[in-house]
Amino acid sequence: MTSPSHLANGPKRDPEHLDPSFSAAPVEELLRLISKAARAHQLYLPNNPIYRRAIENLRAGFPPIWAEVDELTLTITESEIRWFDTPVAGEAGNKSADNLAWLFYKDGVRELTFIKGFEEAEVIKFLALIQRARKGSPDEDDLVTMLWESDLSFVRYGYVDLLQEGGVGELADGGEMQPVGAGEVQRNMREAAEESRASGIINIADFDATLYFLDDREIEYLHTELKREYDRDLRVSVASVLMDIFEAQQDADIRKEVLENVHTLMVYLLTAEHLSGVAYLLREVQVTVDRATGVTDQHRQQLVQLAERLSAPEALSQLLQALDETPTLPAESELGEVFEQLRPAGLSTVFLWLSKTQNEALRPLLQAAAGRLAGANTSELVRLITAKELEVATEAIRMAGALKTQAAVMALARILGDTNVEMRRLAAQALAEIGSPGAMQALDRAIDDSDRDVRVAAVRAMTARAYRPALARLEGVVKGKRVREADLTEKMAFFEGYGALCGDGGIAHLDSVLNGKGFLGRREDSEVRACAAIALGRVGTPKAIDTLRKAATEKDIVVRNAVSRALRGPGATES
Amino acid sequence: MSPRNSSETALQSVSLPGATGEGGGDAHVRRAGRQLIFSTYGALRAVKLYPVENAAVQKALDEVTNQSKELIASEEELELRMSGEFIFVNQTRLRLDLDNFASFSHLLSLFRACGIGRLTIAPTVGPKDWLIFLSLLQAPSTDDPSARLDQLMAKLESAGVNAFTFAPPTQQGDGDREKAKERAKRTYTQGVAATRELMASVRIGASPSIKKIKRVVQGIVDQILSEETSLIGLTTIRDYDEYTFTHSVNVCIFSVALGKRLGLGKLQLYDLGMSALFHDIGKSRVPQSILNKTGGLNDEEWQLIAAHPWLGVLAMFQLRGAQEVPYRGMLVAHEHHMKVDQTGYPRQIRKHPLGMFSKIVAVADGFDAATSRRAYQTVPFSPAQVMLEMRDNRHRGMDPVIVKAFINLTGIYPVGTLVVLDTFELGIVHAVNPLQDMLSRPIVRVVSDAQGNLMHPGTLIDLADRNESGVFLRTIIKTENPERYGIRVGDYFV
Repeated sequence: MTSPSHLANGPKRDPEHLDPSFSAAPVEELLRLISKAARAHQLYLPNNPIYRRAIENLRAGFPPIWAEVDELTLTITESEIRWFDTPVAGEAGNKSADNLAWLFYKDGVRELTFIKGFEEAEVIKFLALIQRARKGSPDEDDLVTMLWESDLSFVRYGYVDLLQEGGVGELADGGEMQPVGAGEVQRNMREAAEESRASGIINIADFDATLYFLDDREIEYLHTELKREYDRDLRVSVASVLMDIFEAQQDADIRKEVLENVHTLMVYLLTAEHLSGVAYLLREVQVTVDRATGVTDQHRQQLVQLAERLSAPEALSQLLQALDETPTLPAESELGEVFEQLRPAGLSTVFLWLSKTQNEALRPLLQAAAGRLAGANTSELVRLITAKELEVATEAIRMAGALKTQAAVMALARILGDTNVEMRRLAAQALAEIGSPGAMQALDRAIDDSDRDVRVAAVRAMTARAYRPALARLEGVVKGKRVREADLTEKMAFFEGYGALCGDGGIAHLDSVLNGKGFLGRREDSEVRACAAIALGRVGTPKAIDTLRKAATEKDIVVRNAVSRALRGPGATES
Repeated sequence: MSPRNSSETALQSVSLPGATGEGGGDAHVRRAGRQLIFSTYGALRAVKLYPVENAAVQKALDEVTNQSKELIASEEELELRMSGEFIFVNQTRLRLDLDNFASFSHLLSLFRACGIGRLTIAPTVGPKDWLIFLSLLQAPSTDDPSARLDQLMAKLESAGVNAFTFAPPTQQGDGDREKAKERAKRTYTQGVAATRELMASVRIGASPSIKKIKRVVQGIVDQILSEETSLIGLTTIRDYDEYTFTHSVNVCIFSVALGKRLGLGKLQLYDLGMSALFHDIGKSRVPQSILNKTGGLNDEEWQLIAAHPWLGVLAMFQLRGAQEVPYRGMLVAHEHHMKVDQTGYPRQIRKHPLGMFSKIVAVADGFDAATSRRAYQTVPFSPAQVMLEMRDNRHRGMDPVIVKAFINLTGIYPVGTLVVLDTFELGIVHAVNPLQDMLSRPIVRVVSDAQGNLMHPGTLIDLADRNESGVFLRTIIKTENPERYGIRVGDYFV
């Protein structure tokens, strides 16, 4: 190596190798293939056939050269790449990143040497470097740093250090030193020897060299320490340091700066999708709010705002969008940690994204996390049941049901009066899941809903809960005309509900439906009779069984089957 | 076939002298070469611990024989070459890391003691050859390395072992040495300039360029990996006026060198070097009047000085032009004055153990600060005193294993120490003795004769050299303050 001042003359060559030993054609071809492969690397994914072909072609470009030499050294000028004195790539005057010569030259690289084996071991890494350099902004690492950091084994490079242009000055000489004459030097040495004898400052025994060889235990310790250094969660540690500084320093300006950095770090953490870090930071911010002394109202407000800002629709949407698009999702526990730190205002955004997400793997994670957030913020959940955005309200209703949120009954009851059938169905379903007396009371009205699904959900919920106050309304239905016009599912739901609630008091009616004959000996239709049989099975008393047995020899197969199922017991009727 | 190093160009090249870089280019040779070193190390231990007929010895000898034959079969030749801390198999440098450096270090030490620079192994080598060679290699002797090499070759010949050919270490010529010094000087100067620029930018609240700092650290890592002596020598300059900048560069150099000794890889050394160079960046936010105050500091002033670790964290948030946020550097800046028991300053509120890099930088920082002349320490401590203090005073809170490794790196008399010899000559420690059991007998540049006549550049001598009766020719009797003799140590390294 020589000093950068020699660089104006360009790279030196071994005088014994001034002439190429073979034609430039394969080198030119190789450079063309590198350019093509670099473009393919930029445009296509590795599984793309065009990409694969470009890489294969590039690899195939090396053997003709390795047949002649083991290393290929190229000189780089402003616009051309040269092999010996022959231009093998580039275009005069082209100072764009497309021109490989300029790409390397502008960062100071003046010589590149490829070593045999490069094509198999490092070609992809090298193409990635080219891509990074082409895309990089001026603030980012230059190619010299990229090459250094990538630590390629089969590529050597020479460069001029453009960052040090203009020189760096001389080393300081360490200041003035008073000259000391030979006599004084000699005298001082002898004094020093005397002092040494007297004081024994250096005890050679202290310095038994073997004391400084690391033993196996110490090497193991260093192993562990190095692993710990690299396993350390740097961002979280920095977050911890920032909060320590905030707590320890009372100066308002320092705290202001720390807060700015905390906000910056939060953005970095989110960008890196480091959700446990986000959660950690939010938790520690809360600890600081509770613990730090002398915090001004303004600073306290700024601390508190951190979680609020993340819970705001704009910020939270960004996070959820990133999650929706990420190929590797965080663990549920990690997502949960963050959601626990969100403020209630974040719930509507989460609900919105539950309906929007395209990522099927994300949905259950989001649901679980949303559940935790909703569970901790019931009033917000209740508020969202009547949200204007249909998607939000829908998810809120579902969540209220899933969480059996008693406080949501009133809001859900209001939804039962909504004109939107889908919402009424969901509300009925949610009330059924909640299952409290209040919920049942709300569902009572739904028995008369105009929508069949709402009615069925309501009656099934009341059946499951044996909600006796609904008996009169159910009786009205099973004795009325409407149920006979309903489909089988609804018929069954109502008769079953009636059977579950009526007791022996309802047997007479059910008997008349199952076994009775009407005007001119005409019986009820098969489906209604079968439903009555099932209802009697639900009543399950001896009297009800006796009534069922009367129909055991029924000729109508639908009725007979229903009767025999009912006689087998409640389990059978439910099937 | 392994790639070879190209001829030197007029450019700054990243190739190591005589090497093909960290990777070496031939994975097979690297892997098999490392295996050969492990086998040789295992065989050395077995031969030392057990009688020859023991099965463990036979197994170990078979293994080393097979390993060497396998390499010869695949590579057609097998040569082990020692260079600094590295072992080359044929042209490929073996990678050092925490898993293997003990075996490497032991083998290097034995080879150095026996004056072996190159060892060529013939295809005919067998277990019996290895047994005799390894036994002779470990035989105790007080002779100097060149005499031992002659004895070793003679004994092998008389035992009928001709599978090994030896050559002494290649001496670094004056030209190479000068080139190495020139490179080191350029790296060091660039380091000081870049640090000065960095600190100045932070002081005025600007966003400094990280590119230059990166380039400097890359240079330091390259230099330490190839030839560390010249660069470590420059840490003795200790310029008073530029203390903050030279100190940062010195701490970077010591940290990287220590990291290398601890087996860190190239990119880990880079991380460590970056963190070390930034460790005092917080001082750019402390008023210069306090940094340069010569008298004692009052409480308030001391508080400001003691604030520099956490001010460093804030300062590094200013480096937003950097592609990556320097989190590791922030933590090192914050922790470098903390003790291993988590006391020290700044006080930790959220307790966490110190990182390894922080502990390394703490040792390097403590050593360089205590041995430097600066505003509030006009008389620096001698390197040996500082070393003893770091080793023995647990209240300093340094990691004892890392201190131990540091002493192993710098020797008991670190580079740049002025010593009085029992011949009443003055010497400046030039380099640690490559013989590991000679830590107290460094390579010294004699800078005055017994009559007190100062000499420049002086003569390099090895304090491990003995006379014909086996008595050491020169021994250190005291370390001294160079100012007492009108000597500027840095002059002997620039």
